[in-house]
Amino acid sequence: MCDHTNKNIYLPYLATVEEIIDETPDVRTLRLVFQDEKVRDSFNFRAGQFCEYSAFGAGESTFCIASSPTRKGYIECCFRSVGRVTEALRRLEAGETMGVRGPYGNSFPIEDFFGKNLVFVAGGIALPPLRTLIWNCLDLRDKFGEITIVYGARTEADMVYKRELKEWQERNDVRLVKTVDPGGNGSEWDGKVGFVPTVLEETAPLADNTIAFVCGPPIMIKFTLPVLEKLGFSDGKVYTTLENRMKCGLGKCGRCNVGNVYVCKDGPVFTAEQVKRMPMEF
Amino acid sequence: MKNRRFLLVGSDFEPFCMALYGQGGIHIPKICADGGVRFAHPVEGELPDLSLIRTILPLKKYLFPPKDKVLSYSQDNGYQPVEYNSGKLLIFGVHPCDLAAISYLDKIFLNGEPDAFYLPRRKSLALIGVSCMPDKYCSCGDIASPMPADCDIFLYKIETGYMVSCESDEGSAILSPLSPFLHETDILPPESTRDNFSLNSVEKFPDDLSGVSSELQEMARSCLGCGACSICCPTCYCFDLLELPSLNGERAERFRIWDNCLYQSHAEVAGGYNFRKARTERFDYRYRHKYLGFGQLQGIMSCVGCGRCIANCPAGLDLRPLACKALKESSHAATSP
Repeated sequence: MCDHTNKNIYLPYLATVEEIIDETPDVRTLRLVFQDEKVRDSFNFRAGQFCEYSAFGAGESTFCIASSPTRKGYIECCFRSVGRVTEALRRLEAGETMGVRGPYGNSFPIEDFFGKNLVFVAGGIALPPLRTLIWNCLDLRDKFGEITIVYGARTEADMVYKRELKEWQERNDVRLVKTVDPGGNGSEWDGKVGFVPTVLEETAPLADNTIAFVCGPPIMIKFTLPVLEKLGFSDGKVYTTLENRMKCGLGKCGRCNVGNVYVCKDGPVFTAEQVKRMPMEF
Repeated sequence: MKNRRFLLVGSDFEPFCMALYGQGGIHIPKICADGGVRFAHPVEGELPDLSLIRTILPLKKYLFPPKDKVLSYSQDNGYQPVEYNSGKLLIFGVHPCDLAAISYLDKIFLNGEPDAFYLPRRKSLALIGVSCMPDKYCSCGDIASPMPADCDIFLYKIETGYMVSCESDEGSAILSPLSPFLHETDILPPESTRDNFSLNSVEKFPDDLSGVSSELQEMARSCLGCGACSICCPTCYCFDLLELPSLNGERAERFRIWDNCLYQSHAEVAGGYNFRKARTERFDYRYRHKYLGFGQLQGIMSCVGCGRCIANCPAGLDLRPLACKALKESSHAATSP
């Protein structure tokens, strides 16, 4: 047995909630700043990675880092309040302290996308895992070709990052196609009405020299992958990011495995080609 | 004395044990007051019962306790790490399967970044293995294990007593004061259950379980989902992290607790979605983990054949025939045109 340093991998960094943004009635963004200056400087991550976020007395939850690595000095997470930890995180006020450990997992190989067109397809609360990459690419705008974003939610109220959607809509170097499920549109709705896979098919982005990114509820992914295939995207050109139940984030606790793959360590970013080899039902 | 072998005659076994006990903390396999077989402290003058086949829990209870505090929290000091400095503990009478299981756990918890809770405990354990006689639940001979049955000292049962093999510096330090009872020998160790471990050529289980899916379904239907197989398994290590606050909310402690892949909650996420909702899926998951391995340990079978899961299953389930059939099917597939 070798002698190593005895590092407690479960010890979170302390972070201050700098800003709270309510995205929808039950989805919230927290902007976090590490309290230790050294951590603030040394904490590096890539788009696609995730963290374990701690609420004191409640425990930890897993979310992606929703902000872009190009925006330094803080990280953001976005979550829906559905359980013990997320309820506790929601009770935090600006200026209060929480815990963060990470970053974990692999990331989007962004350098491989230089010079290519990008299509982002997201549904509901699955925009945050792609939003980190969207901003990363927008901050390096001249390195990419056309950028198309197809985003859908059940209703207008369920859309996250409304301010940014507006910003993307107004930019002339981004094509934003937003949609709500039939019946989810209010009188002022200026987007499309229909499910994401259908709207994506209508949008018909060219597959040539293009990479697609898909993130959403399992049912959306299930129906979106065949549409991309029909549009001519090969499985190796389609990326997604998975989120299973995770506890350690380090490929140990045995929760997030799909087949022989650890989502936390081998993922969370996978190509559709890799996902199709997994024994999993979407 | 490392890498040397000694004879310990039967009549010297008792004084050998007593002298060994004098060295400090020791646990032996014994039948406890409630009738359960466990590794525990010997009472005054009690000898290890080396004929006992299996303890209720394997040695993971020492290295990876069922409930282990990993952090404490207070409003004033934030999160504080918990550090472990365990005292030396000698475990006497460990069977090869349980030794092999520790080799597997070492791969899980020490490869790469070593686990801060496992490492000090692992360092503090000294292991004395012993050869054994398998019973109807054991399968160490049927499906060979690639994991080595490593230890500090190993006792081979022989007709006149034991052959004592010293296998590490630590073993040497333990045996040196006991040399009056030991007579060096160059006779090779006898055949034993230990030969079923550390094998280079191990049959690989097929990834495709379609050939045994009906059996798997059938077994999953009988499974009660109690998780006993996983609790008593020497290589099952799935865990949960759980934070327990004090009533006034000023303090909290975070624990790493044993979890169980057969429980419905294992892959359930907030909001109610379950990645392994059906019992068959959970059963399939356990099978894959035991025989096929995950991630970096893919291809390394982790079942060491101790038989605890079979002995403790209230529904009498036994994965062995399933594994054997899967192997047979795949070798058929490989040889048929």
